[in-house]
Amino acid sequence: MNITPNEAEEALAAIQQIEQKTRHAIASSGSYITLIVTGAVWLIGFICTQFLPEISPYIWIGLSIFGSVLGAIWGFRIGSRVRSPANTAMAKRAGLFWFFLIFYCVATIAVVQPTDGKQITVLVILFALIGHLSLGLLLSFSAIWWPLPITGLVLVSYFLLPDLFYLWMGVLGGGGMIALGMYIRYRW
Amino acid sequence: MADLNEIIHQPVRLRIMAALVTLKEGDEVDFTYLRDLLDVTDGNLGAHLRKLEEAEYITVNKVFVERKPRTYVSVTAEGRQVFREHVAALEAILKSK
Repeated sequence: MNITPNEAEEALAAIQQIEQKTRHAIASSGSYITLIVTGAVWLIGFICTQFLPEISPYIWIGLSIFGSVLGAIWGFRIGSRVRSPANTAMAKRAGLFWFFLIFYCVATIAVVQPTDGKQITVLVILFALIGHLSLGLLLSFSAIWWPLPITGLVLVSYFLLPDLFYLWMGVLGGGGMIALGMYIRYRW
Repeated sequence: MADLNEIIHQPVRLRIMAALVTLKEGDEVDFTYLRDLLDVTDGNLGAHLRKLEEAEYITVNKVFVERKPRTYVSVTAEGRQVFREHVAALEAILKSK
């Protein structure tokens, strides 16, 4: 079989393109689900906290359960597209990691004893973002960057916009995560 | 110098193999996921997978997940080897330019 150098170049370019597309598809399959589900929970939860503070704890409990169940089901469906013996062991470790992180977050709140709801919210969010960043660093380099701007947003709104903190977190934090998740899903 | 592999060189099969060798060893990919990734039709992908399976470059594994039939595809050790050789042959042709 004989081909010209130009045909060889085209074939190599096609290989490179599909290899890159496959790596992106695998790396982004988990992160866009996390972003959309977490973003929806933040959007509804924080807007309710801003305008309906008396019932917001109940809304947060409901949203957290709904978000966890939806994320687990959706994640399972997406995860089953690529079956890997290594991923099963990794999923168990990731589950343990989140369990211990929640424990340390609760322990920190108990020790620090924050004076208001905003401080507790910021601590919980920062722990969650540390979790996402750590798992991103360990499991997929392409998914590590998104917790960084969200962390910046949290800190800016906490220190510079305390009166609008919850609204800011809902619209920009939650809405931003949904938009980013959609972008990764359809354009990346 | 390694020779070009005629089975692999066909454009769709070349992209199928490129996608499969990108996965870790032992990983399997769902048929529909592969179809969407490569932007081909069910029939087209099925025909090319059969060709690659006959050559023993890939394995096709049909299983039931949540009571629904699912087809998983993975590359064999021989498939990885011949793909590497094919890429080396393409690079050699390019260098001779």
